[in-house]
Amino acid sequence: MVSIQRLVCMPYSKIKLPASVSIIILFGFVLLSLQLMSSATQESSQLGEMYSALLVINTLGSIILFGLVAVNAYSLVRELQKKAAGSRLTTRMVSLFVLLALAPAAIVFYFSVQFLHQGIDSWFNVEIDRAMDDALELSQSSLAQRMNWHIKQTRQMAAQLQDKSESMIALEIGALWNDSGALEIAVFSNQGHILASSSANPSEILPHLPDEQIWLQLRQNQQYFAYDPSDKDEMLARVILPIQRDQSRYLQVLNPVPVRVTDLADSIEFAFTRYQEMTFLRDSLKTSFSLILLLVLLLSMLAAIWVAFISIRNIVAPVKELVKGTQAVADGDYLQQLPVTNQDDLGFLVESFNQMTRRIARSRDETRSAGLEVENQRAYLETILANLTAGVISFDAAFTIRTANQAAYRILHIPVSHFVGQNLATLAGKHVELADMLATIQHLLERADDIWEQRIVFLGPNGRQELLCRGTPLFMQDGSRTGAVVVFDDVTDLIQAQKNAAWGEVARRLAHEIKNPLTPIQLSAERLQHKLAKELNDSSAEFLQRATRTIVQQVEAMKQMVDDFSEYARPSKKQVEKINLIDLIQEILALYAPTGIIFTTAFPTTHVIVEVDAVSIRQVLHNLIKNALEATSTQCQIDVKISKVLRNTVDYVELGLYDYGCGLNAEQIETIFEPYVTTKSKGTGLGLAIVKKIVEEHGGAIWVDKSYNSGAGFVMQLPVYEFGKS
Amino acid sequence: MLSLLLWPLSSYAESFAAQIRSAKLIEAADGYNISAQIDYQLSPTAREALQKGIPLAWESLIKISSSGWLWDTTIYSQKLAYILRFNALLNQYEVQNPRGEEEMFLSLNAALNYMAGLPDAPSIDKHLLSHGGNYRLAVKTDFNREFLPVPLRPLAYLDAQWFLSSDWFVCPIQK
Repeated sequence: MVSIQRLVCMPYSKIKLPASVSIIILFGFVLLSLQLMSSATQESSQLGEMYSALLVINTLGSIILFGLVAVNAYSLVRELQKKAAGSRLTTRMVSLFVLLALAPAAIVFYFSVQFLHQGIDSWFNVEIDRAMDDALELSQSSLAQRMNWHIKQTRQMAAQLQDKSESMIALEIGALWNDSGALEIAVFSNQGHILASSSANPSEILPHLPDEQIWLQLRQNQQYFAYDPSDKDEMLARVILPIQRDQSRYLQVLNPVPVRVTDLADSIEFAFTRYQEMTFLRDSLKTSFSLILLLVLLLSMLAAIWVAFISIRNIVAPVKELVKGTQAVADGDYLQQLPVTNQDDLGFLVESFNQMTRRIARSRDETRSAGLEVENQRAYLETILANLTAGVISFDAAFTIRTANQAAYRILHIPVSHFVGQNLATLAGKHVELADMLATIQHLLERADDIWEQRIVFLGPNGRQELLCRGTPLFMQDGSRTGAVVVFDDVTDLIQAQKNAAWGEVARRLAHEIKNPLTPIQLSAERLQHKLAKELNDSSAEFLQRATRTIVQQVEAMKQMVDDFSEYARPSKKQVEKINLIDLIQEILALYAPTGIIFTTAFPTTHVIVEVDAVSIRQVLHNLIKNALEATSTQCQIDVKISKVLRNTVDYVELGLYDYGCGLNAEQIETIFEPYVTTKSKGTGLGLAIVKKIVEEHGGAIWVDKSYNSGAGFVMQLPVYEFGKS
Repeated sequence: MLSLLLWPLSSYAESFAAQIRSAKLIEAADGYNISAQIDYQLSPTAREALQKGIPLAWESLIKISSSGWLWDTTIYSQKLAYILRFNALLNQYEVQNPRGEEEMFLSLNAALNYMAGLPDAPSIDKHLLSHGGNYRLAVKTDFNREFLPVPLRPLAYLDAQWFLSSDWFVCPIQK
């Protein structure tokens, strides 16, 4: 996987410049731009013309860099808000870098600006100001003095030329020029026409005539004197004065200023101007240098911060991948493999992470297969438990039910959902009929330290039930109790079968040992009566007759009793057929109509088909009705109810017979279906036992309805074939 | 920060821009001469800078364009550079004209008046303008901030005291 990642990354990394080279190029551009701008501030620099452009370029660069930093910062904030992987580490590193870089840079900037301002301020002081002013004033005074002398000289020359003709002036002007030492002397009319001139330079035919500006001032002031810069970097003192009083002629004298004086004056003028300029630019210089420093700081800092963003992102990228990988592993994706881009410590960490995920994935697979095996075993056990006829309930250490199988539900008639998570006390509260049994089990669970076994009898919804319970406490290796398992089996039928077998044996023996001697006893008694009746007197004969009759009657009674018992003990021979139970009930109730019994029937339908032996069921109904009749007076009432119930996915018809007699107490309810149990003075006590036997032979059940308090109520359930369809 | 941003605008209330009062072509024997009247207005800062020896430079632009159907075509264009500086020693103002010649003036007004008339504009060829054509003369004077000393330039782009350039003055020429 790693090698594939490397192969995929290879072409891109080849065409992409390394980050370090890009950073060096960026900083090179920044430094070059700043250096150019710094050079442009020098007065003598050729880059002076580019200063504004460079300033704009650097400002734009700062703005672009600021934008890049802002975009990166915004992106980082978004990642922080989304709690993206690595965002907090990136923020911490960037913040630390900015703080570490900005603090010294700001300090350096502050003190640099301070030094700069102080340095510029130190260029100027009052003494230099005064010296410069004095130097200029001195120069101006010197030039003015020289100019005054030239004016005086010119005025004398003008006086000599006064009132002379143009030809005379032309003759004398040469001599004047020789005497004065001037560079050029010229006389011209007020219209500007040259009347005469004399010059030191014979090549110049025409004298230096005044321009329009000089003429303007001349006309305004009638005289003109000023220093004019000449073409040869020399200075000339130009003096123009009127010759005539009517100002029709003017004399112009151009006097050269000595080169030394000119140089000195130029030097002073240049220094003064320069100093004045610097004085004026004092604040601008401060602002300009501060601006450049600020730009340097901004560009450097912003470039550094941007590069820091890129570098830190590159550094954090493997950590980010690691965080994502860890999250994926936490979410269960153990196939996560991260690309190893660098062979540094982080690369080693990523490689270790990949190894870890591979191992976890392998362990996960092994655990999963082991879990599957355990699950299969558990399912197998559950299947076995579910198909056990015995109920199995497991408890935890607090005796809360953890599991229960279907058989437990079938035996206790409680849905499985009611079991799990409940303790026995809670279960007893919800199912009152099981309260005693559950309390007994709870008591045994709490007390027993070893395997225990006990028979527990309780009255379930289908009558008396007897459970054979075996409990096993469960212990950890350290001896602490972790729970218990209770296995119980409904042995009611087994016990009943044992009882029936016992009674059958008794019946067989009775028939063999008792019924057989009864006939000879009866015959012997009748023979005694027959032989001795004639030989005895009347009173003795009557006594004999009474005695023999008693013997015969009791023998008959004993025979009847033995026959009844034989019938109870004898296996039934059923002729099963489909009959309508309602018709059968109506038929039997009709037989009792003459007796005056009031039957109240509640049949939801007239079509209830059951597959039974009609003779046996008829006997059951007769026994139950007779039982009710004997328990009440002649004018009694019996309620007969039919309903349909579903038990263990099988439909049953439930037939209830309720009388209004004296009812049954708790002890009678428990033993009423036992043979030879009766509340009547007469009777064998086999009626209800036979009823129960017949019903159970038909796959049904019969019990006393304990909730009925107005008399005795018997409820019988039989499997139903059809209920209310036709 | 806000005051810094609004600083140029607040200064802009008082304008020191040069104004071109008039401009026209005058027919002469050898061609056309340009006659213009530019009113240079120096702000106090510019005046102080001049007095302190800082030269100020303007470029006067002259354009003649012929009106077309879709766009105008420039048929003549001329740029005249003037530099004004103060000579402290002589207490005179010096104007360097486009030919590089220096003219000295005893007062600032005299120097500005010299520059105002565009005296150094060369004459325009007579054949450049055909008879019956529609032409427009446009004159403008630009204050050259880049001629200022380097430290002053950034401020000159922001401070209205240095907004000394004029707008275009356009007038039709009927031939």
